[in-house]
Amino acid sequence: MSEHVQTSNGHTPLLEVTDLVKHFPVKSTGVVRRTIGQVQALDGVSFTLEKGQALGLVGESGCGKTTTGRVITRLYDPTSGSMKFEGTEIGQLSGRQMMPYRREIQLIFQDPYSSLNPRHTVGKIVGTPLEVHNIVPKKQMIPKVQELLEVVGLNPEHYNRYPSEFSGGQRQRIGIARALALRPKLIVADEPVSALDVSIQAQVINLLQDLQREFGIAFLFIAHDLAIVRHFCPEVAVMYLGKIVEIGSRDQIYNTPHHPYTQALLSASPDVKQAAIGGRRERIRLEGDVPSPINPPSGCRFRTRCWKAQDVCAEKEPPLYEVGGRNVACHFAEPLQVVQVPVVSEGATAVSPT
Amino acid sequence: MAMPLQEMVTSPDTDPIETPDAKQVAGRSPTQIALERLRHDKVAVVSAAIVVLFVALAILAPVITSLVGVELNAGDPSEDTDAFNFPVIGPPDNGFTWEAPLGLEPGTGDDLLAEWLYGARTSLEVASISTLLSTIIGVALGLVAGFSRGWLDRVISFVIDVFLSFPFLLGALAMAPILLNRFGGDPEALDKAQFFGIIFILTFFSWMGLARLIRGEVLSLREREFVQAARVIGVPTRTVLFKELLPNLIAPIVVSISLSVPAFVTAEAGLAYLGIGLTGRPSWGQTINQASGYFDEYALYLWAPVIGIMLLVIALNLLGDSVRDAFDPKTRR
Repeated sequence: MSEHVQTSNGHTPLLEVTDLVKHFPVKSTGVVRRTIGQVQALDGVSFTLEKGQALGLVGESGCGKTTTGRVITRLYDPTSGSMKFEGTEIGQLSGRQMMPYRREIQLIFQDPYSSLNPRHTVGKIVGTPLEVHNIVPKKQMIPKVQELLEVVGLNPEHYNRYPSEFSGGQRQRIGIARALALRPKLIVADEPVSALDVSIQAQVINLLQDLQREFGIAFLFIAHDLAIVRHFCPEVAVMYLGKIVEIGSRDQIYNTPHHPYTQALLSASPDVKQAAIGGRRERIRLEGDVPSPINPPSGCRFRTRCWKAQDVCAEKEPPLYEVGGRNVACHFAEPLQVVQVPVVSEGATAVSPT
Repeated sequence: MAMPLQEMVTSPDTDPIETPDAKQVAGRSPTQIALERLRHDKVAVVSAAIVVLFVALAILAPVITSLVGVELNAGDPSEDTDAFNFPVIGPPDNGFTWEAPLGLEPGTGDDLLAEWLYGARTSLEVASISTLLSTIIGVALGLVAGFSRGWLDRVISFVIDVFLSFPFLLGALAMAPILLNRFGGDPEALDKAQFFGIIFILTFFSWMGLARLIRGEVLSLREREFVQAARVIGVPTRTVLFKELLPNLIAPIVVSISLSVPAFVTAEAGLAYLGIGLTGRPSWGQTINQASGYFDEYALYLWAPVIGIMLLVIALNLLGDSVRDAFDPKTRR
């Protein structure tokens, strides 16, 4: 059973996020800038993360995965909701009050080409967190930096090189060394491998896994690559349009998805095993586009593209029901096999889908 | 390869076998790469040499004048000029003489070499101080505006627009009579007031371009992930501005400096030519103004300052162009 249900049992999880909301105001242009709308990037996201655990956050582009990571690291201030780190509310802390928690929560960025300052040497980049938080005296800085570079599998002699002299994978390792420098308890990995070569992805993922095991770091792993999340995270949350639609253990999500969106998402990702035996897979085709987060649909946000949608979906927003061991936000949550889904087999793509 | 020696010395690696490897490992910063390229650019080297020569001449003006044996404002109209106000020694009527290598000024009999050297000094002083001030103001306001966004950005951008719409020449023209009225009685105070007045007015009307440029650069840089990485680490905003952002702005700042120095040299000479610049000390523009009436009879009088300005401005501009090319990653060879 997934651990996020244990929160009521009295022990404090590492990170407990409840009803997190982040709205970005949309301003009119002109001299007087009135707020004319809100981009509802996050609308009531809740999850818990235990020490040393890894929670995967998946969903398509624009669903609020990255925003979640940035709110947790306080790059954005949450509009409302609570984020408790080891029992302390960190959502409303000022910059100075936040400082001790900056040591505990670090971020690995998506793009290794823009996440390293091109004008700083690797030693300076990895040493900055040590310097800001006064972790080691100046004299021991270089040995400490070299130690960190060694941990992430880089040549420690490279500390006085500039980022432009490294490949993408090496740069991402530098970014990981920087995040590791403070020995954080939680690392938010914001699509850490999506900008890398497939051959390098595995190396970096394995490095992250080794580090997680060695240092007991909890990961909030944001990705859109379902296979990587499956490999890395024992727990997975699926997001759609600023909300978590389904959250549960790896096996629950991947083997018996209950939410229609999860089912559609999984059916869209290619499966090597099936391709190898030449089997045809049946795909669920979603129609239309993701609705605008400025003006999301009433009730269930997925109802505009859902084949199960009924009147109740427009009237009542589904809470996270516990169905089959996982939590799922759907009025009609059930495993895929039971229901008659309008599927189009792959061979029939030439035919008009409707 | 440019090697930061100090870093090699402080390297904890003492294994003698590893040392040759370690030497290759030292990286070069983008600025080092740019300087390297600049060294291989012939135009840049020649222009830099000319600029250095002018700077040396300006700094050593008192030494050179005393070596040659000329003096500033030492002319005596009754002794050094004839009945037609023309100098009695040197050009245009007589041959070259070491007593006055560039001749004497018609009317006053002052030595023109001394005036030229001190004119170079004035020109470079005004240009460099104005450049320094306008760069500091431009960078500071651009950084703040770009990084803060919001209302502060809008206020600063509005101020920039206001200053850009203010006519430079009118401002300069208005300042001259004000200063004359205020300090007219005391020539020394007037000279000082004019000197700082011209620096003020040049700075006042020239920081906006750089401020806008820096603001734009910061707007794009602040969204780069390394700035957010610094914030996640907890780096204070001031350090983010000066340690993370500023090093990435070196290229536009250096280019702006190298192009604004010649602009200020020209502006100073132009204002002096119009009679609203410096009057209390030698200035090329002022000499050009006085010499323009004598061009038919005494061309050297005009040529000396004109060639001075031309050479200096061309050298500075070409150097500026080379600097810009050297810092531009798109021309990376």
